[in-house]
Amino acid sequence: MAEPTLPLTPPPALHFEHASVAYGRTPVVEAVHGDVHPGEAVALIGPNGAGKSTLIKAVLGLVPVVGGRITVLGRAPAQARRDVAYIPQADTLDPEFPVSAGQVVLMGRYRRIGWVRRPGRADRRAAAEALDAVGLADKAGDRFGTLSGGQRQRVLLARAIAQLPLLLLLDEPFNGVDAVSQDALLDALGSLRAGGAAVVVSTHDLALAHLACDEVCLLNRHQFAFGPTAQALTPTLLRAAYGGHALVTDDVVVAQ
Amino acid sequence: MLYRLLVEPFGFPFMARALTEAMLLGVLGGVVSVAVVLRRFAFVSDALTHTVFPGVVIGFMVAGAGGIVWGALVFAVFSAVLLTVLSSNRRVTEDATLAILLTGFFSVGVVLVSRRSSYTADLTAFLFGRILTVDRREILETAVVTVLVLAVLAVLGKELLLRAFDPDGSAALGYRVGLLDLALNVMVALVVVAAVKAVGTLLVIALLVVPAAAARLLTDRLALLVGASVLVGVLGGWLGLAVSYHASVYYGLRLASGATVVLALVALYAVAFAVGSARRMVSHHAPAAERA
Repeated sequence: MAEPTLPLTPPPALHFEHASVAYGRTPVVEAVHGDVHPGEAVALIGPNGAGKSTLIKAVLGLVPVVGGRITVLGRAPAQARRDVAYIPQADTLDPEFPVSAGQVVLMGRYRRIGWVRRPGRADRRAAAEALDAVGLADKAGDRFGTLSGGQRQRVLLARAIAQLPLLLLLDEPFNGVDAVSQDALLDALGSLRAGGAAVVVSTHDLALAHLACDEVCLLNRHQFAFGPTAQALTPTLLRAAYGGHALVTDDVVVAQ
Repeated sequence: MLYRLLVEPFGFPFMARALTEAMLLGVLGGVVSVAVVLRRFAFVSDALTHTVFPGVVIGFMVAGAGGIVWGALVFAVFSAVLLTVLSSNRRVTEDATLAILLTGFFSVGVVLVSRRSSYTADLTAFLFGRILTVDRREILETAVVTVLVLAVLAVLGKELLLRAFDPDGSAALGYRVGLLDLALNVMVALVVVAAVKAVGTLLVIALLVVPAAAARLLTDRLALLVGASVLVGVLGGWLGLAVSYHASVYYGLRLASGATVVLALVALYAVAFAVGSARRMVSHHAPAAERA
């Protein structure tokens, strides 16, 4: 299908238009409005239960949009999944499951490989390169569950990289992650952004939001701010979003 | 001695047929049990073995022994679909749904059998199987199901692996998790159908769980897991038949062959448990062992 006109600027990777999402009849997040462009990174910030994970699921087309609109890479969310990578929290996965780190990374290629066929040489090379990009090339044969929490999170990021996504969605990727793994994750995310991928990171760690992202979407059931980190993470807005549970001093903000 | 125990009994045609059937079921159960154990599907599989029971009874009442497979097949697919649909309702938890289906269907079967004059004999055959009387056609049926299930696993193997490991991740990649679950349900149901004549509806669950559970104690590697599981399945069938033959011929003990096969499987599980524990203890004490 040929596009009738060529747009002057590329469309945003992710476009929220006064979007509300709901499980069943109860709205979980309302009035989210903003854009994420290729190469940008946005932090979803908010307390537990703010609806960060639900919003991510809505971008994947797994939770319905009940008001407004979410557009992913110019398409409806469910139509864009092939180019979107989701990185779950590593500790939600069974550590006893008998797969190696290399096999987990290969899973990122399954959609490209298709039904019936087995991973080919190109898939294995892509998986090896992805594992190298997160600094775990030597762990390919190790069982996933024997790795540290941070290493497991890096393996899951490698799986996403092997998928060659245009948009990455990370759910609390820095939870329980040691400093080495945190640096490796930040490095890999930086390279992905330099390559033109857009990144959305949900986190409740404000310091990491500053490090990893240049924009913030501040949420608690509805949007409190969406914009450059310095403007969105003001003490006033944080207090509003966290309902007074944020400890705000001169220049340090600690959210609980 | 070993020859006398393991080879000699199968010189008789009926024992050779029983062995062929047991081997096929060992391969089938060995492969499918890996999917069952990885997906933590043991209880679901157990429910399916019970929901197939009324189909076995109805098939037998309508068309005699030849109707059992068809009755079982109809009920297997019906209950696999029903199970998938009902467990998507979040208000009642899956284990409660399973318990209702399991007992409901099973009771239908028992009520139907109880109307017959040969109640006890029939019930025993349906529940525990008669592997020593399997004929050529039944072996062929088992072979067809084995080929069918292996073909489905060739198509869906890696997707089922991903779904078992990371359900959210597979949904995010665009896979229909519900359909993958249905595929596994149907495969389990097909194993029940194939095995019902030989080991009965009650004992087939052993075939669907024990081989992979035993193999899992021995290895962390997926490829080895499938191989070891098939080996346990085949070995269990062979040993079980050999032991029940010897007990009956040389010691005058009539052991139910199907149940003896299950006991052989469980014995192999116990061996795997001992070997696995011993190996873990050795690696704990080894100085170079790296543990996360």
